[in-house]
Amino acid sequence: MNVFQKAWCSVTRKPIKSILLFLVVLVISLFLLSGMASKTASVKTQDKTRQAVGAGLLLETNETNRHKRIDEISKRIGEGVEGTLEGVHKVRFDSIYGESWGVFTDNSFDTLRLEDIEKLAEVSEISDYNITTKVTPVNPVNFLRLEDADVDQTTDFGGVSLIGNKDMQMDANVLTGNLSIKDGRMVNSGDVNVCVISEELAALNDLEIGDVLQYNDYHDRENSTVYEAEIIGIYHVRQYMTPLMSGDTFRSENVIFTDLHFPEKAEGNENDPLYERAYFKVGDVNNYDAAKEKVKAVNIDWERYDLIDNNGNYDTMSANFNDLENISEILIWVVAIASFLILFLVFVFWLKNRVQEVGIFLALGVPKVKIIGQILLEALMIAIIAVTLSFTVAPSVSRVTADYLVAQQVRQMEESKELNAGHVAIDSFTRSEQQITGVSVNISTQMMLFDGVCILALTGLSVITAGITILRKKPKDILSEMS
Amino acid sequence: MILEVKNIDYAYKTQKDKKVLDQVSMQFEEGKFYTIVGSSGAGKTTFLSLLAGLDTPISGSVLYNGEDILKRGLNYHRKHNVSIVFQNYNLIDYLTTEENVKLGGNKKPDELLSEVNIPKEAWKRNVLQLSGGQQQRVAIARALASDAKVLLADEPTGNLDEDTADEIIELLQRTAHELGKCVIVVTHSKKLADTADEVIRIKNGSIERNGEMTN
Repeated sequence: MNVFQKAWCSVTRKPIKSILLFLVVLVISLFLLSGMASKTASVKTQDKTRQAVGAGLLLETNETNRHKRIDEISKRIGEGVEGTLEGVHKVRFDSIYGESWGVFTDNSFDTLRLEDIEKLAEVSEISDYNITTKVTPVNPVNFLRLEDADVDQTTDFGGVSLIGNKDMQMDANVLTGNLSIKDGRMVNSGDVNVCVISEELAALNDLEIGDVLQYNDYHDRENSTVYEAEIIGIYHVRQYMTPLMSGDTFRSENVIFTDLHFPEKAEGNENDPLYERAYFKVGDVNNYDAAKEKVKAVNIDWERYDLIDNNGNYDTMSANFNDLENISEILIWVVAIASFLILFLVFVFWLKNRVQEVGIFLALGVPKVKIIGQILLEALMIAIIAVTLSFTVAPSVSRVTADYLVAQQVRQMEESKELNAGHVAIDSFTRSEQQITGVSVNISTQMMLFDGVCILALTGLSVITAGITILRKKPKDILSEMS
Repeated sequence: MILEVKNIDYAYKTQKDKKVLDQVSMQFEEGKFYTIVGSSGAGKTTFLSLLAGLDTPISGSVLYNGEDILKRGLNYHRKHNVSIVFQNYNLIDYLTTEENVKLGGNKKPDELLSEVNIPKEAWKRNVLQLSGGQQQRVAIARALASDAKVLLADEPTGNLDEDTADEIIELLQRTAHELGKCVIVVTHSKKLADTADEVIRIKNGSIERNGEMTN
């Protein structure tokens, strides 16, 4: 009988031993595959999350350049001369203390240039864009605002804040997941004279969709023109938005989202908007870096602007999902080490039970290497069947494992968020809301190959390590153990 | 002379100062049936192990056909020169009767099994399903399957009833006298010892050959 025949007989005619080893190898292989699948699943989730949140670029005014331009224009107006140039106003004040000079800017100076925004929006990788106005304080004419009764309101504007958006879906508060619509809808491109109010403001004034709110310039409440905007939505925030300034005018509940041009009208500057930021959505997140480079290559006066990528979001999320990747990697290592120990112990136990057989073969003149070779062959036969079966079961098991790991991560994030609730306000692109709907796992051929090689190597190593104890013994000692 | 031991010394690892075999020399011939007797712990099985190449002496040598068995290696010696039968049969439990015999060598198992009176219906059965006497006969058949000229047996009738033991003794005698092999049997059985062509007694590390001290 050759070694293969003997090995086959041993495997098939001692089923309990074979089934035990088969199950051990099957479980090890499944764990290894699940670990690898979860590791790649985490990466996919990262990308998907980035897509969901909206990979994009943000355009804002560069403050240093703004001050520099004010100084330059002020000088061009002339020393000791009052005047207005390119949206910069130089004014002289006379008082009992003497003469003093003030410089202020209007919307035309501070706004992002619409033509620059449109140029950037034309980049092929940019799928959509949004423009957001400055926070504009205005006077509420036919409704009440929320006020803190304990706070002295004499220094406050007594108004509410308007934020205009071309497309509210891409407002920072929406993108970060902090703001959601409770009733009605958001402001879309093309809407005119519409607004979306907070649920608190709606409750205070008993307002509903379709009601019309009136606003005018808070500087001249009596005489300025009153503008009307229809309520098309009522929003809810998870955490209050950070106020621009102190005072109830800017408190989160008094923030009203409108169409892009309403704020300028309500504050009495029709056709003189102040666009504070523009958001450019990258269509395919995989082309994010290329899109950024293309946007930067557009010929506009870049000194005026800051181009901010929203990696704030991405980093926050990747931090969470890198944890998943790390956990998966740890899982792989733990499984590999534990597998070796388990397999080693299984084979030590196995060989201990086969000491008589080893002794008989030695007495028959079979070399030790051949004896270990037969045991290795048996182990490999079982391992190959187990690994093959694990390939068919692995996709389901991996999905369950990955789901579990992701659920753990999400739970951890939610716990952390609950701890921070009420302490942190969301004000920019640097925070995000995690919404994971599922995990995609895939067992690739490469993973199977790696798994197969690992399992066979571990099996071989374990048999040889366990076999050393026998290889070191003299045949007579083994035969003595038998008797 | 097929097998010879020359001036061998042996001591157990745990009692290195006490020699179990002390300068023992002995020669064995083909076609003869030898029995090795002695009290428990006298070194009978140890002596057989040295002849079988399962262990090596501290000093001295074991020669097969005049050649030191270490020269070709102990595995070679066990595979080609000697075959061994144990008290507890030592058959492979996951193989059939026939397959166990095949492990011994290239001779046809059916002939050997017929020779040792194993019924045909038992040939394909798992060897553990046979009786003790049948298992020992299978072990002898396995030993005969090789071309080895020396058959070594350690208490081959130790676990058997009297009738079966008689059958085994007869089989071993036939092996020596009819097949021309050198059969060396370690035994406690006086009956078995009495049937031998030559009785070797091990006592105090020395060998007494049919009443004659060899060292």
